This record gives sequence, C-alpha cells and structure tokens, in this order.
Amino acid sequence: MLQGTLIYGFINSVVLMLVALGFSVTFGISGVANFAYGALYVMAGYLSWLGLHSLGLPYWLAAPGAVAITAGVAAMIYWFILLRVRGLVVSEVIATFGMGLAILELFRYLGFIGFEYTLPPLIDASVMIGDTYVDAQRLCIVGAGILLAAFLWFFTHYTKTGLAFRGIAQDERTALTLGINADKVAAWSVAFGAGYAALAALVILPLGTIAVNEGYNVLVNALAVCIVGGLGSTVGIIVASFLIGFAQILTATYLETSWMMLVSLVAILAILVIKPSGLFGHQKQLEERI
Amino acid sequence: MLNVKDLIVFYENAIAVNDLSMEVREGQIVGVIGSNSAGKTTLMNTLSGLIWDMLIKEQRKGGERITVMGSVHFFEEDISKLPAFRRAQQGIVLCRERHPVFPDSSVTENLKIAGYLRKRAEVKQGIELSFDLFPNLARHRSRKAGFLSGGEQQMLAIGMAMMVGPKLLLLDEPLLGLSPAMQTQVVEAIKDVRRHTGVTLVIAEQFARPLLPWLDFAYVIENGMLTLTGPGPELMDNPEIKSAYFGV
Repeated sequence: MLQGTLIYGFINSVVLMLVALGFSVTFGISGVANFAYGALYVMAGYLSWLGLHSLGLPYWLAAPGAVAITAGVAAMIYWFILLRVRGLVVSEVIATFGMGLAILELFRYLGFIGFEYTLPPLIDASVMIGDTYVDAQRLCIVGAGILLAAFLWFFTHYTKTGLAFRGIAQDERTALTLGINADKVAAWSVAFGAGYAALAALVILPLGTIAVNEGYNVLVNALAVCIVGGLGSTVGIIVASFLIGFAQILTATYLETSWMMLVSLVAILAILVIKPSGLFGHQKQLEERI
Repeated sequence: MLNVKDLIVFYENAIAVNDLSMEVREGQIVGVIGSNSAGKTTLMNTLSGLIWDMLIKEQRKGGERITVMGSVHFFEEDISKLPAFRRAQQGIVLCRERHPVFPDSSVTENLKIAGYLRKRAEVKQGIELSFDLFPNLARHRSRKAGFLSGGEQQMLAIGMAMMVGPKLLLLDEPLLGLSPAMQTQVVEAIKDVRRHTGVTLVIAEQFARPLLPWLDFAYVIENGMLTLTGPGPELMDNPEIKSAYFGV
C-alpha cells in the first residue's frame, strides 16, 4: 500500500511537471501570457488522433505532426492576436484565455466526446516494481519528464534564443537595445511552450481518454505548479510538482478521490498568502527584499 | 557617421526635442550636456530607435501620442524609421539611463544575453574583455546583477552594450545616481573601453565637469533646443557653462 502510494505519487508528480514545463517556458521564463495552454494540450491530442484514425498515418508521422501543428497554431495566436495587446498583461491574459475557450468549446461542439478518443501507448506492457504493477507507459512518462526538464534547463541557459527568453521577460527595452527582436523571440517562446504541451499530451493522454475538460484541468495544474514553484524557476517547477503531486495522491488514497483537484487550488491560495513570489521565485524576489 | 537633421519630438503637445541637428564623426567622443528634462533621454531614445517601441506601446494603451519628425542618417543611410533592434544590428547601441541590467540573471548571464548577435567564440572573448576592463564584475561573476551596487551595475550595462559590438555607443546618463568616487571610476572605465576598442561615443550627461575636458565636441541643450556647441575644453571656459554646470 505505502509502496504503491510512493510510486504512484512519484509518477503523478512527473505528470504535473510535464504539464507545467511548457507553461513555465512561456509565462514564467519569457513573461508572455498563454492561457490557451490547456486548449493547445488537448488540441495536440485530438490532432494526433485525427492523424492516426482519419488520415491513417503511422504513429511516427502523426505524433510529430501534431506537435508541429500545435506549435505553429500557438505562434499564429501570438502573431495575430497577442501582438496587438502585447505589453498590457491583463489584456494578454484575457485574449489568450478567450482563445483557449474558443478552441476547447469548438472541439466540444464538433462532437469530440467519447471513449473512442484515445491515443496508443508507446509501449504496451507492464512491469513489477517491488510488489506494485506499473505499466510501461507510466515509465515512459517519467523518462520523458526527465528528458524534457533537462533539455529545458540546457536550452534556457546555453542557447541564444533561450537566454533571450529570459532577457525579454526582465526588461524588454534593454533587450531591444541589445539587438534582440523581442516580438520574434516571444513568438518562439509561445511556440516552444505549446510544443512542450503537445509532447506532454502525447505521453500522458494514453493513460486515459482525450477529453475537452482535460484542457481546463491541465491549465489549473500548470498554473498551480508554476505559482507554487515560482515563475521562471525550473528547479521550483520540479519541487512544486513533487509537493502537489504527492499531496494529490495522498488525498486520493486517504481522503477522497474527488478532492484531488482541490489540492492545486488550495496550493495556489496558500502560496499567495505565505510567499507570493513562490518557493524559488525570481520575478518578485528582489522587490520583496526591499 | 551619424547625421541628425531637424529632429522634432512631441509627447502629446509638449515638445521634448525642438528642431535639433547634430553630427557625429567616426572616432569622436561627443557629449550632449543638459539639465533634467532638457530632452537628453528623448534624444538618445530617438537615435537608438527605442522611441518607436514607446510609440507603439502608447498607441496600444491609447496613451500619450508621440510624434517624431526629422531624419537620422547612419553612414549616409536613412535609418529614421528603423526599430531599435535593427539599429543595434547595424551598430548603434544604446546603454539606457539608470543602469539597465537584467536583475534576476547573474553577471555572466547578463553578458551572454547581450551577446545575442555574436558568435559563440566572440561571446566568450567579449566576456573575458569585460572582466579585464571591469575587474569588479569578474569578482561578482555569478552574483545576481540586481544585487550589485549602482556603479557596478553601470559598468555591467556598459559591458553588455560592448558585447553587441557597437560602431556607435550611446551612453545615457552613465553617472546618474552614483557617488562622486564611483563617478570617477565609471569615467575611467569609459575611457578604458574607448582606449581598448576605439568605439565612437555619444554621452548624454548633466554632470559636465568630469566629462567636458575630453569631449571632442559637445552639444548643450535646454528645453529640447541647442543653446551652445563647441569642443569640450573650449566650453569649459565658457562663463555660462561655468555658472550653470559648475556652480561657479
């Protein structure tokens, strides 16, 4: 029992981290709001389902295709919608949240509801860890989580575009005077975050069905992890996803499964009261110090 | 190198730069001397192209109307309408007032971000050069830039501007908010940068005393208008300058 809780708590934490990474790239590291994030996540799932079942493409074509299209759609959302209100944070949030609602409800309207909307697992098998059964897909999730988190850290510390992400978030005017095309970099960041959302969708969604409501849950979870961890901190994301991930599993095991979703909301509230910049927050730390 | 003709900038109905023309030749050190609200920063923002970013942002907000007239030529090419990042790519780099660094990134990272336009090897060389020129920065290389002192931040900001590889470096009030001792250090640092790279400089400043002696040419502006021009040392002896800027 305890061993199972620990293993599933760990896996649940990695799922949260995967979901939060892309959101953190865009909103945390680059300071561009993308609240259509959950919608893009679900869209990636439906797109690869369509590729597999309606177009009959092989998996190795349908999955990367879905990732590329999702990233492209996100870049277009930036270029045609977000750019007009860039710099006005509240308008950015409203515009992208509205886009997300439109995408999600469009899928609902088109009738993408039901149990047939599932993605195939990467490996269909299961293994024993101690005396707990774990299916291989969940191990793939852990692998993908480690890979994507490591790549994100590398990307934002050692590549020009990644470093520029952090530049435009901290001071856009200074970035401009250094020759950084802030709008182009921000568009890349939105596309990059959406690509991460799509990759997360491809490994996580095979555990269940692709559902419209998943889009809202993903957004709430991603937001909770980013706020608790502190915007812009990759280490914070990892720590926060483990805190919330284990809290969720413990709630489900010892209290009530339906309370799981409350954990993220309570976590957001608690951190905003105790330490608004988050556990490892960069963004407001300096101001709070003064 | 740089030719500014009949430049006029309005914020709504207030005139910030009034029919200003100036010229910067390659290799010169040119000063723009003026008190607070004389229009120095607006002039520097217009030269660097940042004014276009401000104009767009204000338009989005439905805020202040900014109007820019006149022309700016760089190496005979009209750059009046180019945005800031394009001008930086062409070699006009502005170091804004109040030491603009990325406060949450470390010193080394600030320099790396500033090396956006440079190749990997050039970035490495540039960081080493910055640390040579500003030994203080080398000591604090892994500290967050926001925790540095004002003078150190100013040196970092200059180092970052140099990373871009400027042909023309614009410094907007590099001495603002610094103690007199720090001011001398920063002036020495600017001289060092100049000796090392031979970059053409335009410096906007209100503390004229430490700068005037080594300015090839200075423009004195008041309320957006040119009032006096001439080589720096010559202006040192001008009675008006003496009374207005040296308190003599």
